[in-house]
Amino acid sequence: MKEIAITGANAITYPHLEIWNWAISIYLFLGGMVAGLMVLGAISQFRPSSTTDAGRPFVCYLAPVLSPILLSIGMFFIFLDLSRKLNAFWFYLNFNIMSPMSWGAWGVGLIIPLSTLWALASIPEEHRHYLRWPKLHDFSFKISAYRNKLAGVNLALGIFLGIYTGVLLSGYVARPLWNSAVLPLFFLNSGLVSGSAMIILIARNYQEKLYFTKLNIWLTTAEIVLVLLFYYSHLTSTAPHREALIPFFTAVLFAGIIFPIALELPVITARRPAPLRVHLIAVLILLGNLAIRVAFVYVGQLSSLSDIARR
Amino acid sequence: MPRYAMVIDQRRCIGCMACVVACKRENNVPEEHYRTRVVEIVEGTFPKVRMELRPELCNHCKNAPCVYNCPTGASYKKEDGIVLVNKKRCVGCKACIAACPYDARFIDPRNGAAHKCTFCEHRIKEGKEPACVTTCLSRARIFGDLDDPQSIVSKICAEKHLRILIAEAGTKPSVYYLSLQPLT
Ligand code: SF4
Ligand code: SF4
Repeated sequence: MKEIAITGANAITYPHLEIWNWAISIYLFLGGMVAGLMVLGAISQFRPSSTTDAGRPFVCYLAPVLSPILLSIGMFFIFLDLSRKLNAFWFYLNFNIMSPMSWGAWGVGLIIPLSTLWALASIPEEHRHYLRWPKLHDFSFKISAYRNKLAGVNLALGIFLGIYTGVLLSGYVARPLWNSAVLPLFFLNSGLVSGSAMIILIARNYQEKLYFTKLNIWLTTAEIVLVLLFYYSHLTSTAPHREALIPFFTAVLFAGIIFPIALELPVITARRPAPLRVHLIAVLILLGNLAIRVAFVYVGQLSSLSDIARR
Repeated sequence: MPRYAMVIDQRRCIGCMACVVACKRENNVPEEHYRTRVVEIVEGTFPKVRMELRPELCNHCKNAPCVYNCPTGASYKKEDGIVLVNKKRCVGCKACIAACPYDARFIDPRNGAAHKCTFCEHRIKEGKEPACVTTCLSRARIFGDLDDPQSIVSKICAEKHLRILIAEAGTKPSVYYLSLQPLT
């Protein structure tokens, strides 16, 4: 029998860390989705059919326009979490090369303006009149010549955005669940999954929806492989890593991936699946990915290296 | 330049918690928060019972994850080895709290900044020892300069087999433990 009593324990760190909440989960979810939108939007832009306004799929306009908006909403949630909000400018008066959060702050600070430029460059001719200010209209026209270059930059930034949150969490030796080199890749892939689900939901063209549903199945399959590798990396590691994989986390992880893909598969085999069904699956994928991010934030904080020092 | 360290002689600790109280008083630590704690681990079934008393605090790590994870440079390490927080720069992002393997940090509810043990830096400047060390009635906490060969901590470090907490985290703590039983 073992009994542990601590005089002087702080509630936010004992019995487990309790510092990041739902706001951080939402940021991780939105950040991942924006990464997916940027990567998939940029790749669609490079396809041969995208050379003319008429031939470009809707995702080429949609992804650039949604990215800065959704990322700004995500940033709002990060801001909510800061306990000294008025000091936020310090993120940009310092760069700590060893701190993934510092990389993230500068990266996001760069992504918002550059994705906004990409959005302006991607607005098709017939919709440019929605830009009320004549100067903005002219500017959008001028930079539309750099559309492909901006897509290239945003592709690289999208990959950075998808990976860095995983690098941030995986760097914490103190929290065994997060401390896995598979996490950055898993986060990037899950961002692509949510990005493609978002495109399925808002694409105008039925064929485009179907195309991204098929792509989504491949990405979800890759996600399953990455989850298995994530488990393998923990199971073959030390005791705190093995113990971090608690059952309910496993349940959420698999429910968030397996359930949507199980529904998705018949869609592929059907010739012309009902649009309602395609939409329903996209919503489930998004909810599944949100649940995964929430689970990662909370369960990661339950797993602690200092626990073993007390055993 | 001194290199400060603390040795905790667990054989001497009686679990009176005077250090916890002294630290709170000296540093005006906010309500329900602590910079140092005493962990009591009781193992076995009567009559075969064993107890470990382990005072814990910030380890002022040489390779401090709280410092290298801080995005604003608010967490920093002085040349004498003391790890501090500059609250004017702190944004309250809590990266340092998540990064600390010893759970030695918390957010000060009065101002939102990260808060932790300072080895009573203000007292060291006056030539005094940290409050927990001065208060400890059984001399279980020993503080000093590792670069001074005459200091008690240097002598203990040279003569005794000391242990550190969670060595596998690779943080190179400046707090050492002297105990009869192996620490994990
Ligand atoms: S014990 Fe924690 S707070 Fe103290 S220096 Fe080490 S990592 Fe930083
Ligand atoms: S909470 Fe403050 S000290 Fe800690 S990492 Fe963030 S800015 Fe640095």
